[in-house]
Parts: sequence; C-alpha cells; structure tokens
Amino acid sequence: MIDEYTEAAIQRLLTEHGGLAEQGIKVIRRERVLVLCGEVESRQRRDEILRLVHENFPDVPLSVDIGVTRASAPTEAEELP
Amino acid sequence: MIRVAAVGDVHMDQDVVGRFRPALERLPEQADVLLLAGDLTRHGTESEARCVAAEFGGLGVPVVAVLGNHDHHCDQVPQVVKVLTDAGIAVLEGDSTVVDTPGGTLGIAGAKGFGGGFAGRCASEFGEPEMKAFVRTTSVTAEQLGAALRDLDCDTRVALTHYAPVPDTLAGEPPEIYPFLGSYLLGQAIDSAPTALAVHGHAHAGTERGTTPGGVRVRNVAHPVIKQAYSVFHLG
Ligand SMILES: [Fe+2]
Ligand SMILES: [Fe+2]
Repeated sequence: MIDEYTEAAIQRLLTEHGGLAEQGIKVIRRERVLVLCGEVESRQRRDEILRLVHENFPDVPLSVDIGVTRASAPTEAEELP
Repeated sequence: MIRVAAVGDVHMDQDVVGRFRPALERLPEQADVLLLAGDLTRHGTESEARCVAAEFGGLGVPVVAVLGNHDHHCDQVPQVVKVLTDAGIAVLEGDSTVVDTPGGTLGIAGAKGFGGGFAGRCASEFGEPEMKAFVRTTSVTAEQLGAALRDLDCDTRVALTHYAPVPDTLAGEPPEIYPFLGSYLLGQAIDSAPTALAVHGHAHAGTERGTTPGGVRVRNVAHPVIKQAYSVFHLG
C-alpha cells in the first residue's frame, strides 16, 4: 500500500538527499507500484536513485522508468527570422 | 544572421564530464556563441564548477552563462562564479555582455530570475516577511534584467534566464508548481526591450516553444527538454 505521505517523502528524498539532488523525476502512484519516471544525466544517477529509494522505502514496490538524456550534437538549427 | 547555441540544466559532476564534449567539439562550426541557462552543477560546489569549466571551457566561441537554483544550493556562489570566469565563461546576474559575431553584435542580458507565478495566478508582495521577500526577490531580479536589456547597445538582443518568463514553455509540468518555475515579471522585463529571443531552463518536463505577451519568442533549453547537447537558433 503506497499512501500520499510516502509519495511526498520520496519526492522530497529525490531532491533533498545529498547524493541525488534530482528535481525532475516524476513520482506516480499506480495501483500496484510506484513509478519513478524522468531523465537524468548519467547511468550512475539512475542507479543511485533506485538504490536510495529502495533503501529508504524497502516496502514500496518500484517501477523505474528513468532515461539518460541524449547528448549528441543537433542535426538541425531553428530558423528565427 | 547570428547563430546562437544554448543548453541549460546540464547538472555537471564527475559522472557527467566528457558526455557533452564530442558534440561541443563541433559547436564552433554551428554557432557563434553558447548560452548556458543555469543549473550548471548538481549542488553548486566549487568542484562541480570545475567539471563545468572542463566541459564547457575553451570551446573556441564565447560562452555566456547564468546560474540556476542548483548552483546556489551549497552557498558557494562566489567560488563557482570564479571557477567559471577563470575558464573564460562569462556569468551574468542582472547585467549584460556584447559578443561580436560575423552577423553583427549580439547583446545578451542575463539573470537567474526566480519564481512567483504567472498573471492571474501569482504571488503578491503582501503579508508575512517571508512572502514579501520571496516576491521581492523576483521583482528586483526582473527589474535588473529589464534595465540590462534596455541599456544594451547592439544589433540583436537575447535574454538569458534560468527561471521561465512565460507559462507556455512549462507545459508538461504540474500546473501546481508553476509558481516555483517562473514569473510573469521576467516576461514583462523581456518585453520592455526589442528582444529577439529569450532562453531559459529549469523546467525539465516543460516544452520547447513559447511566446511572451509582447511576441518575443521563448525557448526552454533545459537539457531533458531539448534531448541533445545544445540547440542552435539562427537569428535574423
Ligand atoms: Fe535543473
Ligand atoms: Fe533549476
């Protein structure tokens, strides 16, 4: 059972924990799992989110859908006449 | 034509060093200047600033930045600014700089900005000292941004902020947090001068395109929004 207070606590942990500092992750309560979704700058950051949320909320079933933001050069420019 | 590259919210630390560099090596072929729209670091430490300097320094084009809220977290702003400045990155806060490009002079006025919300749904300078201080912070930074834009002597003006000047580019974020993502006062400052483009970051789940009430084009260049190392805009 995932309640609203847990949702709030996880959202704040993501931002306020010194090892995370992530404000851009959405915390979504679904029927059976808590979904963490968004983008981070490295795989280590995604792994650390998973590790710390699991460590602090061991009873919360998690589904982690966090990608690493692509960093390739743009192929097109936007024309702003 | 002036070619402007921009990205925000790169949130650098050791684990990110080198990720942008392959794309950045090609940047001078594509752009005359690079704008960094704040949240350059994760916590605003001097060591993270050194990662920013290593990644975005020595590019071969001028680099102009504003700080973001993350860059303030550890209360080391002077040290962060010094590391960036020593690496040749200009850091703006309520002031401006002019860059010479083959397409003419580009004036960039920049400020981090702050929250407060948007017309009809915004905080007011009223009540508790904490609330007044919150709104006052935004109005002071917006006034400085507006003055810096109006005072620029250049061919083309660009406004650079971390917080959003319009709600358009926040679409995708929960509406409940808009007051923490930007302020209409920044948009009003941008509209007080003939600004060609306004770029900002901060809203990682927002949208690329928007316009101020005065018709200035606004672009959210937060890295998770643009999903590439930087965006390039051709002005004029
Ligand atoms: Fe950010
Ligand atoms: Fe931010």
